[in-house]
Amino acid sequence: MDRITPDLATLLDCAPPPARPLAALIDGIPQPVLLIDADLAVRQLNGAARRRLGLVDAPARGAPLGRVLEQAGEIAPAEAAVLLAQARAIVAAEEGAARGGGAIRLTGRRLSPRLWMLTLAPPAHPAFSPAGRCALTGLADRAAFAASLARLLQRAEEPAAVLLVDLDRFKSINDTLGHPVGDALLAAVAGRLRGCIRPRDLAARLGGDEFAILLPGCAGEADAALLARRVVEILSRPFLVRGHLASIGASVGLALAPADAAEADELVRAADLALYQAKAEGRGIWRRFRPALNERAQARRALEADLRRALPLRQFHLHYQPQVALPERRLTGFEALLRWTHPARGSVPPGEFIPLAEEVGLIGAIGGFVLRAACAEAAAWPEPLKVAVNVSPLQFERGAELVAAVTAALAESGLPGVRLELEITESALLHNEASTLATLHALRGLGVRIVMDDFGTGYSSLSQLRSFPFDKVKIDRSFVSGLAEGGQASAIVRAITALGASLGIATIAEGVETEAQAAALVQEGCGSAQGYLISRPVAPENIPALIARAGSGAATEFVP
Amino acid sequence: MKQLHRVLYCSRSRLPGGAAEVGRGLRQILERSRQNNAATGLTGSLLFTESLFAQVLEGPLEALCATFERIQCDERHHDVTVLEFLPVRAREFPHWSMAYAAPGPQALPVLKAALHGAAGPEAGRILAALHEVVRGADVGAK
Repeated sequence: MDRITPDLATLLDCAPPPARPLAALIDGIPQPVLLIDADLAVRQLNGAARRRLGLVDAPARGAPLGRVLEQAGEIAPAEAAVLLAQARAIVAAEEGAARGGGAIRLTGRRLSPRLWMLTLAPPAHPAFSPAGRCALTGLADRAAFAASLARLLQRAEEPAAVLLVDLDRFKSINDTLGHPVGDALLAAVAGRLRGCIRPRDLAARLGGDEFAILLPGCAGEADAALLARRVVEILSRPFLVRGHLASIGASVGLALAPADAAEADELVRAADLALYQAKAEGRGIWRRFRPALNERAQARRALEADLRRALPLRQFHLHYQPQVALPERRLTGFEALLRWTHPARGSVPPGEFIPLAEEVGLIGAIGGFVLRAACAEAAAWPEPLKVAVNVSPLQFERGAELVAAVTAALAESGLPGVRLELEITESALLHNEASTLATLHALRGLGVRIVMDDFGTGYSSLSQLRSFPFDKVKIDRSFVSGLAEGGQASAIVRAITALGASLGIATIAEGVETEAQAAALVQEGCGSAQGYLISRPVAPENIPALIARAGSGAATEFVP
Repeated sequence: MKQLHRVLYCSRSRLPGGAAEVGRGLRQILERSRQNNAATGLTGSLLFTESLFAQVLEGPLEALCATFERIQCDERHHDVTVLEFLPVRAREFPHWSMAYAAPGPQALPVLKAALHGAAGPEAGRILAALHEVVRGADVGAK
């Protein structure tokens, strides 16, 4: 017993707490509250409940709930019957649940094996549609949410707030643990959302892993922000569903009426822009709508319109960065790099337009262009020079399409498959391992070499290198830049090259800019390199001269 | 017999007030959880320091998940980390609907390390700490 702190020792015996009448406790609660036992006898009720029910005198302790309701001046006989049925259902189900759509609702909570606390909830907001429930979660569905929001804003006399909630990482839970677990998780999310809101608020499932909360009478940002923060926090806590531990998160977009928008559609669009912003800033946070988001959305739409025209208008072209074998710096091939030159915008950085192309579904077409152009160009180079082409994770998800595009590009150009390398990032490998593996094998069946890009920056592991058929890993530039200082970067590079050597996987370092880095790479046993030290990316018209200078694969030092 | 599961988690307290008020809050948590657990067939142990909780819950899966979910919705704590969740053959705390374990001096750093990420060995050490305390208490219990 010596480890039990003396003042807390009493916690260990199950003696009841110091006598404090339960009535005094529940009288402090502003909501109307009744305590009933399993026989539906009223043990206690507070002043708020007496007022709400219209009871002149406090009922005798242990009076049947039915008789108490009969004596309640504020409750019509039909309503009394409904409430009694609700109470019975709550006791039978042993758990709290809001039931019924009448003028007054009961919510229940079990306090002990034989004691339930019933709260007389105010009715749901009159603007809210009782119909249209999502069968899985019991929340309002998209149509009911839209109708409720429209009705609420039509009344126009009170402000409101809309929160759009998007789950983070739900898809991967669904993929890895299966739909039944995913469904149970959605139901648990709905339960947590329900627990965050007031009775007059409306929570809805809009579809998939999108939820929404409508707060009538929410005048300022403070209340809505408090809820937004709470939603983000509570959904980031772990879930135990169907025997599985699941960790997700949530991003929340917030918009207020009338401050941000007066019309229902506009308000939802504003919340959606805020949600988009929350996700863009890294997820797991909430953001409120700002007018600047509108401008940003317009700019994005303009960029998208230009991007859609870029392919037919032939605004894309490729530059090629030489890759050399170490230590002799013999030219072995080029990495194809996409450039977009727009007549008004000038050169648009890939970091700006590639994510957009992925988002709006243009990446397949653009990726197809890159494959065809790169293969056609490389077919004109002397053997055995290779070309490396970057493949987006989204292209990879549609494996069959990618294999078809590669097959077509090789056939059109006449380039042998062995002279094409496809560079994929680690994130392409995270989803759906079986189909990813099938795609990799199909590509290798064409003779194509597979390179893992940006190795070491993401989730790659030894097991991944073992289970996927890679021919080469590309060591990320962040490690190369730290090489000259020694320390951790050197250790990582050494580990990668050693691992590659033992698994028969070649290594290439990118972003090599100094002689010191090149020397360190040779020292650590890295097989090849690319970077400004060797050469910047060059336009295709300059390639023949460059190849000629390099001696087309002869073992001469590469001097651009 | 139904398959038993055990979950071990730790979290940061949001119990308001000074020592006396925190003690009352803790007492409330223990009483509620003892009542709930007695009704649903769960057992376990709760460890509390000035700022951190560690709790073991064990029992049938369905009741365990339902109770865990209710705990997750509780505002009196946050920053929840599950250190262990697995099927078990036997209960660790068969005689306790919810034992209370005041931490020995060694428990706090272990808990803090566990909250900062790494599970694995910490789960075992916290479980051991909970055990040690409860074993001591078992002697004095009826």
